[in-house]
Amino acid sequence: MRDVVALALVTVAFLVLPLLIGQTEHKVMAHMQNRLGPMYAGGFHGWAQLIADGVKFAQKEDVVPERADRRIFLLAPGVALVPYLVVLAVIPVGPGQVAIDLSLGLFFALAVMGIGVIGSIMAGWASANKFSLLGGIRSAAQLVSYELPMVLAAASFAMAAGTLSLTGIVEEWRWYWLFWQAGAAAVFFVAGLAELRRPPFDMPIADSEIIFGPYTEYGGLRFAFFLLAEYAGILVLCALTTVLYLGGWKGPLLPDAAWTLIKVFALAFIVIWVRVSFPRMREDQLQRLAWVWLVPISLAQLALTGVVKVVTDL
Amino acid sequence: MTAAEIVFTALGVVALGAGVCTVTTKQLVHAALWLVVSFGAVAGMYLVLTAEFVAWVQVLIYVGAIVVLLLFGIMLTRAPVGPSEGLNSRNRFAALLVAGSTAVVLVTLLWRGFRDARIELEPGGGSGDALGAAIFRQWVLPFEVLSVLLLAALVGAIVLSKSRADRGSRTPKEG
Amino acid sequence: MKLGLAKGLAVTLRTMMKRSVTRQYPDVSPDLAPRSRGVIALFEENCTVCMLCARECPDWCIYIDSHKETLPAEGSARARSRNVLDRFAIDYSLCMYCGICIEVCPFDALFWSPEFEYAAYDIAELTHERDRLREWMWTVPPPPAHEPNADPPKELR
Repeated sequence: MRDVVALALVTVAFLVLPLLIGQTEHKVMAHMQNRLGPMYAGGFHGWAQLIADGVKFAQKEDVVPERADRRIFLLAPGVALVPYLVVLAVIPVGPGQVAIDLSLGLFFALAVMGIGVIGSIMAGWASANKFSLLGGIRSAAQLVSYELPMVLAAASFAMAAGTLSLTGIVEEWRWYWLFWQAGAAAVFFVAGLAELRRPPFDMPIADSEIIFGPYTEYGGLRFAFFLLAEYAGILVLCALTTVLYLGGWKGPLLPDAAWTLIKVFALAFIVIWVRVSFPRMREDQLQRLAWVWLVPISLAQLALTGVVKVVTDL
Repeated sequence: MTAAEIVFTALGVVALGAGVCTVTTKQLVHAALWLVVSFGAVAGMYLVLTAEFVAWVQVLIYVGAIVVLLLFGIMLTRAPVGPSEGLNSRNRFAALLVAGSTAVVLVTLLWRGFRDARIELEPGGGSGDALGAAIFRQWVLPFEVLSVLLLAALVGAIVLSKSRADRGSRTPKEG
Repeated sequence: MKLGLAKGLAVTLRTMMKRSVTRQYPDVSPDLAPRSRGVIALFEENCTVCMLCARECPDWCIYIDSHKETLPAEGSARARSRNVLDRFAIDYSLCMYCGICIEVCPFDALFWSPEFEYAAYDIAELTHERDRLREWMWTVPPPPAHEPNADPPKELR
């Protein structure tokens, strides 16, 4: 019974929180650009904008290009979206408050998050459109280079905690991790952003040069799925960073789940802030950042974590 | 048959079927995607055998990285939508023979080696702790030798790409 | 370069803290400058049907009809004739808002009004007749003083 309730709650969170992040993005981005953003839908400051968008998407015709590889084209949005839902189930929001408590939760989350990218590669190839194909290739190149620093950074947290369980990592968390694991957190967050193809790492969907990358041919609900996958990805990345680096539910006064949510949304704000502030990186700059900066930093952080761990254990 | 055995067999059938599809499909990208299904089914089999860690590593490395790299390579070279001719090798019967005989050898080997031996699966036997202890206590020497092998491969790859870059190919300058 | 990243973040954050400049148009009417080129209003009492505006109009979008009236003069003087305006219409589907008609009018009968909400569903409805043009005259704001601290314009007196 408890499992059913927990999974239902995860599904609700999966459907609501990404929309909340999307609405925050609408409003924050607007105000950062001296605009107001949506003001009409729903009455009060356009709170129902994304619901209205969803209704609009649902009404649209489901178009499949004639030359496209039909089955893969139709399957791709699902492949992009479902992994994030699955990852959400293993993220703890409080002590013992997790839908599925895996002893290898960290590895599970990283492994499943990587699958989402296959969705966008499939979309890029199956659309039979050169811009989509370019976007798909860029997605693949980006995933291959950023997966490594991300896993290395995550390994640093696991080493520091001495466990791969997400709940266990939060329990082992101490305040000095904020300094000790800062490098790993930076690498993890940046690599995560790149893996989600969020600006400034949105070379695969660079709308000014390749239209909308892998999603060029999509419309209606399937396009909405890709959008939802992007925001669900932000949610998952922020939740993982919260759990690994910000001590998850730990915090004074407020209830546990509240602290988790506050931290997740603070990180989501940073994701949006970075998107508004920085221009898109060129493809070679992207690769350079991954291999010249992130990989060495994460390796140095691993060494630091190992040394500190051994010294303090003596 | 227990539930675990049924699931295991089903996953095995899926893995095998996906594997057959991988080699028989006429479309290059479909082959790579069937490979994803096959890898996923194998990961599921590891899970049934309580080897959690290996299962997630299988997903992370094979599905998340290797297949993406494969797809990248296929799309970069040629990726026609629809069947491409010339995928059928003329050596298919030789390949079938090699594959079949390898399978026969392996199955006989396992059959003769383990025949009636049953391994009791205990939960947690394949967890991170158990696997870490096994690799870094008992099997640390083979592990290190393997890492030297990988290092050699890495150095080889760098040497190969470097020697080509020196022959005057243009690479984008730092931006 | 690293400093530049922080600077970019600071700029966006500072902008977010400020009030945004968006004017919520249908709810809040925009305050337009006095000489905004919204629509051309006709002060028909000043019009002498000299036809200068209609002739100078590059688009030929001004339609003027008139007839001559003779007024008997007192005494033995010759009867005075006077032009009476029958129709004055501007086709705003042709008008390009150049303002030449206003510049050229010797009797100050045409004015710019900032009024701009006269969209129509049919192109024919964009031809507005003299009564409508006369009504827009009420929306013409007084001109601003030519110099700071000058006397207020005579329209205000």
